[in-house]
Amino acid sequence: MTKTITLTINGRRVTAQVSPRTHLADFLREQQLLTGTHLGCEHGVCGACTLLIDGQPARSCITYAVACDGRAVTTVEGLDADPTAAELRDAFSAEHGLQCGFCTPGMLVAARDVVLRKPDADDRQIRVEMSGNLCRCTGYVGIVNAIRRVLDARKTNAG
Amino acid sequence: MDTPPTAAGVGARVRRKEDERLLRGRGRFVGDIAMPGMLELAFVRSPVAHARIRGFEIPEEHRDAVFTWADMAAAGIRPIRAVSGLPGFKVSEQPALADGKVRFVGEPVAVCVAATRAEAEDIAAQIFVDVDELPVNTDMLEAVKPGAPKVHEHWADNVFLETNVGGSIADVAATAPIKVSRSIRTARQCMVPMEGKGVLAHWDRQAEQIVLTASTQLPHIVRAGLAECLGIEQGLVRVIAPDVGGGFGWKGLLQPEEVVAAWLAMKLDRPIRWTEDRREHLVAAANCREHHYEITAYADERGKLLGLEADAWVDAGSYSVYPFSACLEAAQVGSILPGPYDFQNYRCRTFSVATNKPPIVPYRGVARTGVCFAMEQMIDAVAEAVGREPWEVRAENLVPPEKMPFDNITKKHFDSGDYPESVRQAVAAIGLEGWRARQTQGEPDGRMIGVGFATYCEQAAHGTAVYHGWGIPMVPGHEQAQARVTPDGGLELRVGVQSHGQGMETTFAQVAHEVLGIPIAKIKLVHGDTGLTPYSTGTWGSRSMVMAGGAVATASRQIAERLRKIGAHLLQARVEDTVLRGGAVHAGAASVSIKEIAHTWYRAPQLLPADVDRGGLELTAGYKPKSDHGTFSYATHAVAVAVDPDLGTVEILDYVVVEDAGTMVNPMVVDGQICGGVAQGIGTALYERVPYDETGQPLSSTFADYLIPGFTEVPHVRIIHMVTPSPYTEFGVKGIGEGGAIAPPAALCNAINDALRPLGARVTSSPMTPDAILSAIAEAGR
Repeated sequence: MTKTITLTINGRRVTAQVSPRTHLADFLREQQLLTGTHLGCEHGVCGACTLLIDGQPARSCITYAVACDGRAVTTVEGLDADPTAAELRDAFSAEHGLQCGFCTPGMLVAARDVVLRKPDADDRQIRVEMSGNLCRCTGYVGIVNAIRRVLDARKTNAG
Repeated sequence: MDTPPTAAGVGARVRRKEDERLLRGRGRFVGDIAMPGMLELAFVRSPVAHARIRGFEIPEEHRDAVFTWADMAAAGIRPIRAVSGLPGFKVSEQPALADGKVRFVGEPVAVCVAATRAEAEDIAAQIFVDVDELPVNTDMLEAVKPGAPKVHEHWADNVFLETNVGGSIADVAATAPIKVSRSIRTARQCMVPMEGKGVLAHWDRQAEQIVLTASTQLPHIVRAGLAECLGIEQGLVRVIAPDVGGGFGWKGLLQPEEVVAAWLAMKLDRPIRWTEDRREHLVAAANCREHHYEITAYADERGKLLGLEADAWVDAGSYSVYPFSACLEAAQVGSILPGPYDFQNYRCRTFSVATNKPPIVPYRGVARTGVCFAMEQMIDAVAEAVGREPWEVRAENLVPPEKMPFDNITKKHFDSGDYPESVRQAVAAIGLEGWRARQTQGEPDGRMIGVGFATYCEQAAHGTAVYHGWGIPMVPGHEQAQARVTPDGGLELRVGVQSHGQGMETTFAQVAHEVLGIPIAKIKLVHGDTGLTPYSTGTWGSRSMVMAGGAVATASRQIAERLRKIGAHLLQARVEDTVLRGGAVHAGAASVSIKEIAHTWYRAPQLLPADVDRGGLELTAGYKPKSDHGTFSYATHAVAVAVDPDLGTVEILDYVVVEDAGTMVNPMVVDGQICGGVAQGIGTALYERVPYDETGQPLSSTFADYLIPGFTEVPHVRIIHMVTPSPYTEFGVKGIGEGGAIAPPAALCNAINDALRPLGARVTSSPMTPDAILSAIAEAGR
């Protein structure tokens, strides 16, 4: 019933037995005890479970763990030392970009992607780029302001 | 205690202490907790809206893993029972698993236990529930008609409760020059916190307690209700709320699933976990906001309100929820429909209607969102009838500041503020003149511009005086907080409310810091655990900062007195010659820090005065505001929209909130509450609806069908604060948590109708979807 997979999780090589039907988020949460990846809908809409697979944002609730054999998975726990994530964490706190914190890990992963990919994004573009993630607490204003703050600071530092 | 405001005290925009763990994925939500030997649950839920259960077919190999109400009843488990003392209230009982009859789609009928949720779901999929279907009530207006199928057979009709407020207004009705009537409706919604409900129950062998770790807003109330259902003493129950991923009301009740999990943990002597998935939530927890109004306003030629009469129905679903009951919402409609206005004649009849839908639960703002939607449409209707700007008619009808405090027609005691000024500021901030000019000019793309306003006041932190009248299982009294100075001069605070996004770990620390000067980094809040905190009715009704914040201030002041007494002794000064300031007791030029005083109490008691308070540096203090009729925060929302008459779409071009929350403990947190509330209100206004087909099947069971607003649907809300401290509370704070969600449907409806006016079209029901707007336009064209 199970398959053996070998993958890299937050820089650590892991070999594990997984059931073919187990999605990546359940595998990470229940078998690897990485509970920072949250499940908000389990049908690929809300974005709470967003993490990085080979550096690209992906929905872990609609990705099977067995499909990640040989891949590199990075969860929010793996972004502790990431400089862009550090800037975003500081900005999210300064701009009140989180309340209950449940959607936050997915938001951070998506926001990091926006910061790296769209350095010149205006507020409208930030909103469009982030529209794959839902938040029920903040009304999004604090999150947009946080991303704006990081983009502006990067421009100032670069200039 | 006249310490000046500091960078971290009341009024400071302090970063939240909660953020660090949540930003690193190191929060601790129920689903993150596992225990050795833990089993998981999957519920078999009713596939039909109304039926008698003939029996179950359970595969033989799963017999030991499946439980029904028969098992629970045999163990003496009692149904959930939430009565109201209001005369005429009809009692419903909700067994945690259906007892012979199901009354809504999604009602739990059996539970399956396995090592993992996936395996439990496998078992659930093999259970066949044999039912005889019954006729259903899917519409509250049909359900009250004679001959409608009965949700509860032993009742005379499908009405939990009828209330009548006010008297005859026949005189006004006969003579008023202006009379306008509307039929107004709001849709059934689902609250959708991003974390679903979760519960982990286990029997603590050492404490000899059933411990329920649950995503709840009301741990102490759940404890009481759970003990009643299990038939055990409350001392045998402990409820712990860990990090909770949003609530909005959905986590403010005792849930059947919690009763099942607790019972199974005791029966099987294994930890039992249930985590609600999104589909369960969208189906079984589609439980709020559904109102219908037939309403008439009477006014003079200038638009001054002379009277209001209404019949209002609330679809309360199938059962009465614990603790708020099935009638709170409709009964509240009767008492708050007059809103922030000053008029003399009022009559309102309300019906809490039982239907074959999930039981209604109070959602952020409770009845106010529907009431505001109805009342604010009436103000605009009156304005239209007298040919004036709606904002002018609104401002002239609002209670003026010189009448504050003011007792309105339903004896609501408005504490303070300048309601008309909030309208004037909103008019200026939205730039009404500019939008009017643009309307006259017309849009190059053919869209139609509209501007709408809505004003409300929100009774928050209601106390004993309000709640004892409902006669429901819960009446808030004095709120308590425990404060303990630690041996190294830090502070621990313990409160029975629960923080699930509101940032209380920070804001309550700010309150204590304001009084004691202890750095907020050294102040630790313990909350949401019945084993560790004083009793509290919990977090609901925008009450926590007023009530528990007031208790924290009171406890901190009492701690301050004890610190001063020891400090004075150490400084060889008279207590009355000392002040506590900046974290130290001062007598003239000499001072001793709280840290040194704490050290003396705990580690060097030989230095204490002989008459020291033997309670030490730890105490519990209670608090109630000077008036427990609640605080009244208020706001005017103004919104400009562009409506596409061909597509029916609405774009929000600008959104302004002018609000008065009294003194703000942390303005950043207040703004966050308002923005988040507005986003939910926009969902109510434009997107969110749980439709049912004629057999009572819900038609929105995924996020593809049930749309909550995302980044691109919510504007960059602009907030303007008016600060009128409440005369009745610590620091003058007012409850603010729910307000943002109250006015958006009303403001947006008025804006859309402002836009549609040239077409003679009008919408009166939410959500105002493209279909609804196109239907209104088509209707006007006929």
